Amino acid sequence: MARPGGPEASGRLAIRVDRRSILRLGGGFVAGLAVWFAFAAPYERSMAAAAQAVLRVFEKPPVTRLEASGGEIIVDRSDFPETSPRPGLPAGDLHFNFVLLCALFAMTPRPLSPSNFGRFWIAAAILWIVQVLALVVQVESVYATRLGPWSEAHYGPVARNLWAGGFHFYLIAGRFAAPFVLWWAVGRPQAPPPAGKS
Amino acid sequence: MKRETASPGRRRSLGFLARFLGLLVAFYFLVAWHPVNDAVIVPFTSAVAHVSSGILAVLGEGTHVVGTEIRSDRFAVNIENGCNGVETALLFGSAVLAFPAPWKRRLIGLLLGLVAIQLVNLVRVVSLFWIGVHRPSLFSSSHTVLWQSVVVLCGVLLFLLWATWGTGRRAAVERHGAARRP
Repeated sequence: MARPGGPEASGRLAIRVDRRSILRLGGGFVAGLAVWFAFAAPYERSMAAAAQAVLRVFEKPPVTRLEASGGEIIVDRSDFPETSPRPGLPAGDLHFNFVLLCALFAMTPRPLSPSNFGRFWIAAAILWIVQVLALVVQVESVYATRLGPWSEAHYGPVARNLWAGGFHFYLIAGRFAAPFVLWWAVGRPQAPPPAGKS
Repeated sequence: MKRETASPGRRRSLGFLARFLGLLVAFYFLVAWHPVNDAVIVPFTSAVAHVSSGILAVLGEGTHVVGTEIRSDRFAVNIENGCNGVETALLFGSAVLAFPAPWKRRLIGLLLGLVAIQLVNLVRVVSLFWIGVHRPSLFSSSHTVLWQSVVVLCGVLLFLLWATWGTGRRAAVERHGAARRP
C-alpha cells in the first residue's frame, strides 16, 4: 500500500517540472496556437459534419443541418420556417482546448519523439470525439431551451435541464479537464519500474 | 514480470483520474447550485471586478463597476463564470485533493495555488479590458483562446509543481540511505 505523500506517491508523477519543461510547455502552446489558427476552419467543418451525423441518428425524420462558417456552427433544420433566424454557436469555445493538449504534450522530455507524437495523435483523436459530443449536447441544449414554445412542446423539464446542464458542465469544467485527463492517461511518461523488482 | 510491477502504477494513475473526475463533477454541481452561485460566486465575481477596476484606475483607465461588469466611456466587459478564475480553481482543487499527499501539504497547496490562480486571473481581466479599449480587433481571440488557455495552463503547472514539491530532496535522501546500506 502506498504511503500518502511517500516516495511512491511522488514517484508516480514521473515528470520533472523545471525551467526546460516550462519552456517546452510555452513552445508547445505557441505551436498549438499556430496550428489552431491555421486549421480552425477545416477542423470546424469536420466537427459539424460528425455532430450532424450523430444528431441525425436520433432524429425521425433527420432534419438537423450544421454548417461551419466564419468561426460559428450555424444550426439549421429543414422544418425551420424559411424566414426565422438560424442560431450560430461560437465554435472556438468548443475546440480551443486543442492548444492546451499541444502544450501539455510538449512538456515531456522528448516532445518530438515518434512515441510522443503517436500518443499525441491518439489523445487528439479522443479530444476531437469529446468536442463533437460537446457540439451535439450544445445543439440539443439550443433545441431544448432557446426556441420558445417549440422547445417546451418537444422537451420536458428534465430533458431541458439535462442538455443545458451538460453543456454548461463542458463550458465550465469539461473543456479544461479533457486535455489534462488525456495527457495524464495517454501522454505522461510512465515511471520506470522500481529497481530490483523486475 | 514487467506486468506485475507496471500494473500497480497504472492502477494508481487511474485511481487518481477517477478521484479527480469525481471531485470535479461534485465541485461543479456545488458552484452551479443556485444558492451557492448567488451567495458565493456572484459576490466573488463582483469582488474580482472591483479589484480589476481599481488596478485599471491606477493604469489611467477611468472605470467603474456595476454588478460584475467593468465599464468605462470606451469599453465594457462583463465577468462571467469562466472568466472569474473559478473554472481553473475547480480543476486545480480537484487535482490537489485527488493526489495522494498529507492533508497539511494539500491545504498549503490549495491556499497558495488558489491565490496564485486569482492573481493570474486579475492580470487576465485587466489586460483583456486594456486590449478591448486599445486593440479591440484582438479582443475576441485573446479572450477565447489566449488567456483562457494561459490561466488553465498556469493551474496545471501549479498542480505539477505542488505534486513534485519535495520529491527531489526526498529522492536524494533515499538514494543516500540506499548507498549507506551494506
